[in-house]
Amino acid sequence: MIPAIETRALRKTFQDPERGRVEAVRGLDLQCHRGEIFGLLGPNGAGKTTTLRILAGILGATSGEARIDGVDVTVDSLEVRRRIGFLSANTGLYPRLTARETLEYFARLHGLEGEALTRAVEKVIAAFDIAPFQDGRCEGLSTGQRQRVSIARAVLHDPPVLILDEPTTGLDILASSDMIDFIESRRAEGTCVLFSTHILSEAERLCDRIGIIHQGRMLAAGSLAELRERTGAEWLEEVFRRLVEEAAA
Amino acid sequence: MRLPPSFIVAHKELLSSLRDRQTALYTFVLPLVLYPGVFWLMVQGMLVLQGQREHTAVRVGLTAEVPAELDAELAQALGGGRGGSVDGARPEGIDILEVERDPSPRSLEEARSWAREEKEGQPRFDAVLHRDDPAAPEAHTQVLYDSSRSRSELARDRLLPRLEAFVERLRVRAARERDVDPRRLQPLRIEEAPITPRRDIGALILSSILPILLVVMAVMGAFFPAVDLAAGEKERRTAETTLLLPLPRSTVLHGKILAVTSTAVVAVALNLFAIGLSAEHLMSMLTGGAAQASFELPLLALLAVAPLAILFAFFVSAVLTAVAGLAATFKEGQALLGPVQMVFILPAMIGVIPGLVLSPGWALVPVVNVVLAFRSLLRGEPLYLEYALCSAALLVYALAAVRAAVWILSREEVALAGATLSPRRLFTLLRGRDSRS
Repeated sequence: MIPAIETRALRKTFQDPERGRVEAVRGLDLQCHRGEIFGLLGPNGAGKTTTLRILAGILGATSGEARIDGVDVTVDSLEVRRRIGFLSANTGLYPRLTARETLEYFARLHGLEGEALTRAVEKVIAAFDIAPFQDGRCEGLSTGQRQRVSIARAVLHDPPVLILDEPTTGLDILASSDMIDFIESRRAEGTCVLFSTHILSEAERLCDRIGIIHQGRMLAAGSLAELRERTGAEWLEEVFRRLVEEAAA
Repeated sequence: MRLPPSFIVAHKELLSSLRDRQTALYTFVLPLVLYPGVFWLMVQGMLVLQGQREHTAVRVGLTAEVPAELDAELAQALGGGRGGSVDGARPEGIDILEVERDPSPRSLEEARSWAREEKEGQPRFDAVLHRDDPAAPEAHTQVLYDSSRSRSELARDRLLPRLEAFVERLRVRAARERDVDPRRLQPLRIEEAPITPRRDIGALILSSILPILLVVMAVMGAFFPAVDLAAGEKERRTAETTLLLPLPRSTVLHGKILAVTSTAVVAVALNLFAIGLSAEHLMSMLTGGAAQASFELPLLALLAVAPLAILFAFFVSAVLTAVAGLAATFKEGQALLGPVQMVFILPAMIGVIPGLVLSPGWALVPVVNVVLAFRSLLRGEPLYLEYALCSAALLVYALAAVRAAVWILSREEVALAGATLSPRRLFTLLRGRDSRS
């Protein structure tokens, strides 16, 4: 079976005006399957966001392979963008459009029209309880409301792969809880969910498998039980620490 | 001595303000370098034009209500010698005045019609000199010219000094013959008589003002949308959202440039409409109701201008969007586009120099070509080859600008830049020396 997400020896380097040459991702191998939640765990600057951006076709890879549903990201990034839902702190909503206009805009660009478009938009409006504020401009919505519209925007075209970059950062407890419920519901529907986080409890609760990433390298990947077994640590925080120390040694 | 706190604050603000590149550019570089440079260029341009004017031959018709021997002498005085010709003789040198004499009698009205005659789609004469019946009271010699045509004004300018010299010769001769004081004699009363219809004078004034206004309107109309759609998007953190659209980046950028162009075109159209509504009234107020000109917006000419205006707005929009896309915030975008505006507005000023006409060469010079073409179209000048060249050149420049915009803004280093790209960094990127891939 073709993995929903696959990277092989993925590498990304860039020239930073202040830091010089930066190797953000160094030969990353990764596989995620449908109906699986994979958590990419690492500190700030570990290469999580860069990896997710490459997978979404936003950034190009320096070398290596990245595939979504078997489609090479570097060869056909358009097709990749049709097959993914992507959400990050940087994927803001267009402030001067209303929630409904935003959803209709994305639906239209995903090739939906007429009744199919209306159906798809109504479906997500109902699913994320957007109706009460659907005609309000996004700039006037609360953080929680904006988050709901963003999720609706990301899943509007029913993508088989969902990529979420630190999806609960900046959310209050209720909104975070809603987000976690949403991720679990997508798994139940057979979607492959890849998300990055540095909140260990979130990873422990949600992930079928966890990848520990540090300085652009995948230190280890597996279920929580496998990681515990490999490191001999009980808690994920300790697992992470031991793997980082092992890599540094 | 301890400075008052407000002076300390002022010192700090001044220091930080002067360390801002844009402020330094506007405060020091523009006044010291740019404007003198532009004025030097304009002086050089005017010298070139002066040279062109000197080498332009003008054609003058000579007619009289009662033809007399004097006319032959007058024709010789005007068109004879260096730089002149009479009745088809081949002229040489500069300031050429070709004179064609009409031996049959013509009334002033007939002379006016003669002055408006055309030959092969061009005016037959640049000016006509008409002599009234000398027996008539208040008899004049009138220089009939069209103030809406630069060649006609040139013909008038060459005629007048030669006429004055001729009159002076006549006066001295007559005084000698009659043995009187030459100052008591007035052998010919010279009078300038513009034959331009009020409407054409209005069109002339509008054609001097509107082209530069059109350029300014297009630039101003495109300015804020370009900043908002390019730099503003990064500031609002929606650039990444846009990159996720299932469309090629070029398509997204084409859409943005189209949106900016539409705003610029609407701004131009609305401004023209407003000028059309208010021009007559405003000019009437300014001249106390005694305007020599009629300010009707020439709708047909404006329809002809429309395609050029749209192409120009397209060109401007692509350039402004490309530059604004280098900025990371709205404010920085505004600062970047400030000098770029001048790149359009200063050449537009060159385009309104009197006497400069749309030629095939000028039709290829960006911005100047648009101003000259607008001016000629508003005056109804049939320069079809030049208009075609101008349109083609504008289209090529606009497409090149769009291509450059797409090439620059599609790069992930630019599209996702967290800070405004310095010229050095941009240069490195454009030269492809960046190791980022």
